[in-house]
Amino acid sequence: MTWSVRNPSAHDGFAAASFLIFLVLLALLLFAPPDGIEHAPLLQFVGRFHPLSVHFPIAVLLLVPLFEILGRKRDSPFLLASVDLLLCVAICGAIVAAVLGWCLARGGGYSGPLVQQHMWGGVLVAVAAWLCWLQRLRAGSLGPARLYAIMLVGTVTLVSFTGYRGGQLSHGANHLTQFMPQQLRRLLEVSGSRHGAMNSADESLATFYGARIQPLFEGHCVTCHGPAKHKANLRLDTYAAVMRGSKHGPVIKAGDPKGSELFHRITLPPDDDDFMPAANRRPLSSSDVKLIEAWISSGASHTLAVDATAVVTAGQTIVAEVNFQEIDANAVAKERAAFAPILSQVQSRLPNVVGYQSRTSADLVLSASWLGAKFGDNEIVVLAPLSERIVAADFSGTAITDRSAPVLAAMKKLRQLRLAHTAISDATILELGSLDRLESLSVFDTGVSASSLSLFARLSKLQHVYAGQTRIAANTVIPPQLNGKLVF
Amino acid sequence: MTDPFYSISRNHDFDLSSELHPERTLARLQAQTRRHFLRSMTGGLGAMFLGTLASPSPSASAEELATGDSVRLDLRRDPKTPLTVLPPQFAPHAKRVIYLHMAGAPSQLELFEYKPQLAKFDGQDCPASFLAGKRFAFLTGIPKLLGSQYPFHQTGQSGQWISDRLPNLEKHVDDLCLIKSMRTDQFNHAPAQLLVQTGNPRLGYPSLGSWVVYGLGTENQNLPGFIVLISGGNTPDGGKQLWGTGFLPSVYQGVQCRSHGEPVLYLNPPPGVSSTQRRNMLDSMDEINQQRYAEFGNPETLTRIAQYEMSFRMQMDATDAMDIRKEPESVRASYGSKLGESSFANNCLVARRLAERGVRFIQLYHWGWDSHGASAKESLDIGFIERCREVDQPIAALLADLKNRGMLEDTLIVWGGEFGRTSMRENRGGQVMKFVGRDHNPGAFTIWLAGGGVKPGMALGQTDDLGYEIVKDPVEVRDLHATILNLLGFDYRKLNYPFQGLDQKLTGVKPARVLAEVLA
Repeated sequence: MTWSVRNPSAHDGFAAASFLIFLVLLALLLFAPPDGIEHAPLLQFVGRFHPLSVHFPIAVLLLVPLFEILGRKRDSPFLLASVDLLLCVAICGAIVAAVLGWCLARGGGYSGPLVQQHMWGGVLVAVAAWLCWLQRLRAGSLGPARLYAIMLVGTVTLVSFTGYRGGQLSHGANHLTQFMPQQLRRLLEVSGSRHGAMNSADESLATFYGARIQPLFEGHCVTCHGPAKHKANLRLDTYAAVMRGSKHGPVIKAGDPKGSELFHRITLPPDDDDFMPAANRRPLSSSDVKLIEAWISSGASHTLAVDATAVVTAGQTIVAEVNFQEIDANAVAKERAAFAPILSQVQSRLPNVVGYQSRTSADLVLSASWLGAKFGDNEIVVLAPLSERIVAADFSGTAITDRSAPVLAAMKKLRQLRLAHTAISDATILELGSLDRLESLSVFDTGVSASSLSLFARLSKLQHVYAGQTRIAANTVIPPQLNGKLVF
Repeated sequence: MTDPFYSISRNHDFDLSSELHPERTLARLQAQTRRHFLRSMTGGLGAMFLGTLASPSPSASAEELATGDSVRLDLRRDPKTPLTVLPPQFAPHAKRVIYLHMAGAPSQLELFEYKPQLAKFDGQDCPASFLAGKRFAFLTGIPKLLGSQYPFHQTGQSGQWISDRLPNLEKHVDDLCLIKSMRTDQFNHAPAQLLVQTGNPRLGYPSLGSWVVYGLGTENQNLPGFIVLISGGNTPDGGKQLWGTGFLPSVYQGVQCRSHGEPVLYLNPPPGVSSTQRRNMLDSMDEINQQRYAEFGNPETLTRIAQYEMSFRMQMDATDAMDIRKEPESVRASYGSKLGESSFANNCLVARRLAERGVRFIQLYHWGWDSHGASAKESLDIGFIERCREVDQPIAALLADLKNRGMLEDTLIVWGGEFGRTSMRENRGGQVMKFVGRDHNPGAFTIWLAGGGVKPGMALGQTDDLGYEIVKDPVEVRDLHATILNLLGFDYRKLNYPFQGLDQKLTGVKPARVLAEVLA
């Protein structure tokens, strides 16, 4: 049916030709290996067809065992007859894919163990397919073929291994488990999470570099500049490697972001040829860039503590975006568990009044103002068991009176307290000396008078006191500590 | 759909839950169509699979509920109380929002954008580069540049430039965060307003307020969490979709209230019907709706139940909250409010009262800013002056009130239109028009934020010397939305809702940027 089955001389010719090609390929790999340096653009152009070409020989090779098994059924011997052709096609395909792969790796400046393993795996697949073909010819298509079967199984295993390595190269080392559902992950005992990167273990989360900078590199850079590929001979997976730099020299100049190649590249216009991360990769957000800038200008240190204020002020705005992801969820859950039953009791008694400040916090916020006169001294008592957890409380317009002062005084973590439009007077205020974390207090439209000023002055964290429409006259002499803090 | 079964069973007072009653069985079978079967079968299988992937199992730890790995915050609530308060994702700066939308798009060049160069070239042909590849609503040929119609001066500690049209607001300039580099891709009012309010220029997407109430719930269960007040004599061009709920459950849509008379029509029982009678009627309807829900499981039925209940509770609270007669004369005077009018001033005062009563999102629209120069009302030389006068004092009073109560700390105010206006004078039909006006400019407009964790007394972004195009820090509408959500304690990516195979977000599918520069 096919030329290779019927014509022995064609067999020999094909065998010899492929053998020669293998030798050439071997020479290429040995004498011109991918060395992490980019070569001729033409090589890269051709090499980009590697992913396109590589799946065809894989599919064909996987058909071989399928045809062998199905073909042995009585009614489909024609499947067996085509195995010979399949193998030849697979050999050619594998050779083409291997050559293109070499072009890509050499031209694109790939290197590293993953690249090595993938490359040699690919060549071995071609060779193994060739050996299978030879063995099959020798043993005959229907003869005892234990050796052939073993070789076939070996080839298929090799194909899977090489394919997996290829996947790791293009999608990251954990590409198969990255988006695995939690349930399955637990079942298979796969460790790590979607965001967990492979190398963060050796970087301390207590340092600014380990907690803030390394994760950025891992999220955006290491696919091309990491253990698998190190384009331009640059690796960004460890601090040492980052500081060592690329084939062009260091990429970080401590204290000088503008003079650092890395910073220069990430701040170019996105359509610039030199912009990093390169085309089609997720760019760094502006706060990420600021973070890196702050880190470099503070000296690109490896040991700088994560909460170093100098860096945070330089990067200012990063706080808002980065902050909330760093919360230790387990600690929060544990803290919450201590008072969760009381909280749910209170919530069922007074719905929508008290709740967590956020999903990532065990602090409580309280808002009773919407209940107006329906909330008073009897209701506030219900909240008393939670008072030490409350960081912000709004009683504006409620019916609370000075009788509630002890409950308020017990809210020692309060940062914000609103008592506007209530019947409270100096008697309440003078009991609030315990609220030493209070930053903002509203006594708008209350009976509070100038005698409360001394207490306001004692609260060192207090920034704003809203004291309009009180008995504090506008011309009262205010203590110097309160300068600029009273709002009328 | 007619349903004979219910009328029969109600008349005879049968036990509805009895499966043995043949009529009930029959009704059930009739209600269960082939489509129901096919849908629940195929959908059910898929849903079981999706359920395992997407929603955290009941035993999921706090971390997964919080931020962790999940792509979406868990916003499940008891269907009977869909507006329950839920904590935001991380500690918020703002607890509530008052959004002042100037419908029609006010001219930034007459308010906040000081452009001496534009005044210098007033009356000259505009550069050809302004016209290339641009679409305009009305500009034709080569229009003339138009300098600002009003003088500018610097004011406040922050030294911001402002025109003489806002003498009251000017006193609060150090509380404002101006964004002068907003841009949009819509140049007609309705789609541009939809984009600003819903994140999408097409119909059918939830508004900002709906997203916020969906995410956070609302404290006061006796008032809607999202209230809309309209002034200026017209509903904005985008229509009621601007406060629509899109694919979110409809209980989160904005409730439009009237600012004088009964705030919501037909809230109070009609003459001759006592409150008890109405309660009984609601109870019966509730029962019927519950049966409907048990049968079909449509969440919209629950919305209906919740809304009937809320309207009953609102009878007292809404009337009280909207009643500005309860404010002292001096306060009303500070807003320039006049009783019995449907004015922006009254709406601002109501907005403050609603904010004090725990309403989450208060949306005001003031119509009439479309200063093309086509008529006196729509002109920079007449109508614009009136519009400025209508909003200047009330906004200043609102800011002052919130500030002296301490509420500006956690109330975010947003002011702005849906696009900007051109640096060129409008020349409809190629003629010099009787009144002075400007056409729509989606390329640059100014909005401002105040309070709620926003950095006060600053300006972000810059336009060219003629105020036509952005030259520094362009801000897309989605960036503004992401920032507002951030101030309220959300990562905009995690506040999403699965619909039509996409995790739908307010910011759409393009990446948005939280404006870190404006966060205090």
